[in-house]
Amino acid sequence: MRMRSLIPIAVLLLGLAGAGALAQPAQPAQPAQPAQPGQPAVIVQPAQPGQPGARPAQPGMPVQPGQPGTRPAQPGGAPAGQPTAAAVKDDPRLNPKPPPHLDEIESTGKGTALLFWAFALAAVGGALFVVTRRNLIAAVMGMVGSFIGISAVYMMLYASFLAVIQMLVYAGAIMVLFVFVVMILNRPEDEPVAPTGRVGQGIAVVAMLYLVFRLAMLLVSVKAPERAMGPPEPVQVTLNTNCDPARCEAAGGRCVTAAANQPQVCRISHEWGTVRAVGTDLFGPGVFPFEAISILLLVGVVGAIAIARPLHEDAKPEAEAEGGAGGAA
Amino acid sequence: MNILFDIGYGHFLVLAAVLFLIGVGGVLIRRNALIILMSVELMLNAANMTLLTFSRMWGDISAHTFALIVIAVAAAEAAVGLAIVVAVFRGRRNVDVDRLTTLRH
Repeated sequence: MRMRSLIPIAVLLLGLAGAGALAQPAQPAQPAQPAQPGQPAVIVQPAQPGQPGARPAQPGMPVQPGQPGTRPAQPGGAPAGQPTAAAVKDDPRLNPKPPPHLDEIESTGKGTALLFWAFALAAVGGALFVVTRRNLIAAVMGMVGSFIGISAVYMMLYASFLAVIQMLVYAGAIMVLFVFVVMILNRPEDEPVAPTGRVGQGIAVVAMLYLVFRLAMLLVSVKAPERAMGPPEPVQVTLNTNCDPARCEAAGGRCVTAAANQPQVCRISHEWGTVRAVGTDLFGPGVFPFEAISILLLVGVVGAIAIARPLHEDAKPEAEAEGGAGGAA
Repeated sequence: MNILFDIGYGHFLVLAAVLFLIGVGGVLIRRNALIILMSVELMLNAANMTLLTFSRMWGDISAHTFALIVIAVAAAEAAVGLAIVVAVFRGRRNVDVDRLTTLRH
């Protein structure tokens, strides 16, 4: 029993260790494999000419000495001042220097693959804990491990902002809420798995098998676009028409002519998945859902308080309120 | 293509599908309302991961906004659902969904 309750903690530690490894700027994932001659250790996305995927090499990111093969020369990845085929077309301002922690997680390296499997294991193992454990606290801890793994997987998808939000909201807030409710309930489950209703169970098994089958078919037929999973391209944001060059450049953008006979627009490129990129979309096209969410959260807060309030306290304040209203009248 | 070392979009999609199926299984086989709520959270997370994968695949950042909104909705859902669990527990002294057959206390 004691051993079993240690397993979610182990899952949690695994997730934490992996997150720590991922948080460090990239080199720990790569040096595991020495550079083999003739075979680049890291497969970098081939830069298409004119696409902003080819970035200038970052001077802030030192290449580790003694491992020349771990970061092969990126196609088009010449220093910023040296014009290359890919960099000619775009102004360097359109390809701002990426922060060092973003550009380094290559999705095709072996170290990254190892990390992916570790985090996938943490996520799936934690999820299995949730549905199999009888102990509610163990289930909640497995859920936390699962969320940490999912957050790291988000980071591998270059969704850095969403990864942080996942960690804060899920692993932080929601799980604390669950732990509180578990402590309020404080009652073990008698029989965790429903043993009754053979017909219902049969239907559930058939439905799940069908769902698995359909999902597998769907996943087999998914065709990725003809692009490798390298670093994503920056998000191009068009700010306003009638571009004022000074203000636009102060914001880190550039005045470009979007169409002929149109006023110039201010175009800024943000790094994929960062707060700036997500925020620009959130407060641009997504501003209505954003405002609607605030109403939903307000309703949720009021509803949660109204539902969870003890019943025996209901009568007294209302009677007082009625008395007060009657006195005022 | 080496399926172990070349991590592609399919890996993320399969991971999300596995998480979703575990969530479905939890909702179907467990009787504790808390575990069912947690399984629903798991399914929402799997849907989010699919959203982010496709966002990355097609280079469209708006799925990040959508995932953020899904997270907010999940937070509201967890708050209200847990409040309902607490209210039910206060009246009936258990949260076994198989025994909750009436709507009143």
